[in-house]
Amino acid sequence: MTVHNLYLFDRNGVCLHYSEWHRKKQAGISQEEEFKLMYGMLFSIRSFVSKMSPLDMKDGFVAFQTSRYKLHYYETPTGIKVVMNTDLGVGPIRDVLHHIYSALYVELVVKNPLCPLGQTVQSELFRSRLDSYIRSLPFFSARAG
Amino acid sequence: MADEALFLLLHNEMVSGVYKSAEQGEVENGRCITKLENMGFRVGQGLIERKNTVLLLVDLFRFTKDTARFKDELDIMKFICKDFWTTVFKKQIDNLRTNHQGIYVLQDNKFRLLTQMSAGKQYLEHASKYLAFTCGLIRGGLSNLGIKSIVTAEVSSMPACKFQVMIQKS
Repeated sequence: MTVHNLYLFDRNGVCLHYSEWHRKKQAGISQEEEFKLMYGMLFSIRSFVSKMSPLDMKDGFVAFQTSRYKLHYYETPTGIKVVMNTDLGVGPIRDVLHHIYSALYVELVVKNPLCPLGQTVQSELFRSRLDSYIRSLPFFSARAG
Repeated sequence: MADEALFLLLHNEMVSGVYKSAEQGEVENGRCITKLENMGFRVGQGLIERKNTVLLLVDLFRFTKDTARFKDELDIMKFICKDFWTTVFKKQIDNLRTNHQGIYVLQDNKFRLLTQMSAGKQYLEHASKYLAFTCGLIRGGLSNLGIKSIVTAEVSSMPACKFQVMIQKS
């Protein structure tokens, strides 16, 4: 069980942070294009899910999975989107993504006057705490697969 | 917890507001630090005038009225380190040192206004801007307790910082 990578977007589609732990295959496009693709896809899926849902929506789009990986999604009312790719063994992790938002992003970026909002996060403290947190998760193992 | 975030965010905006209306340069930087320090001074003066402060200090002076000047001073500094710091930052000063000749060093190993900034050297050059208000806070509190002082701060590795208080003999 493992975490492959993590994206953090803001309301305007700016990729605030990206980290990877186990990624064996790259997308074949530049990182900027990759972020745009990811954000655009999330935007479309969210709107698709809400339109086509046969029942009343509760949380909306939460995750999708392929035969190799699972993409987990969490969005706050302020438009901050946390996207985590894990392997298939990982169940719902809404609370984990919420913790990344509240205990890491809000505490170390929003409350840091030297991190301007709407730009990629430069804070080393944020990067290192996020890394430690991910590595401490029960479904993260240092060896992929 | 809401008011802690409020003070933090407000303080950060205050610093950026003061710097926004200034130009670049050493002189301007000094002026901004002074402005922030003076704001802190007024807040410190007001903050120290609170009911439980009075009660605590009545106790203090009852016992130390006739003793040597530096003992009053030391008790007041301890008060700043414990009660005053707890009121503002919800924790106490971690270490107080003195040379018994009017110089005190207050060490806070996890200064609340710096903990979310960095855990080491990143952003170190900006740290002094976020300490100026608190220096004024200490100076203001001491001033209304009858102590004139000069307060400076230094940071070598965030979020630990030291506030140096130099008592001015009147």
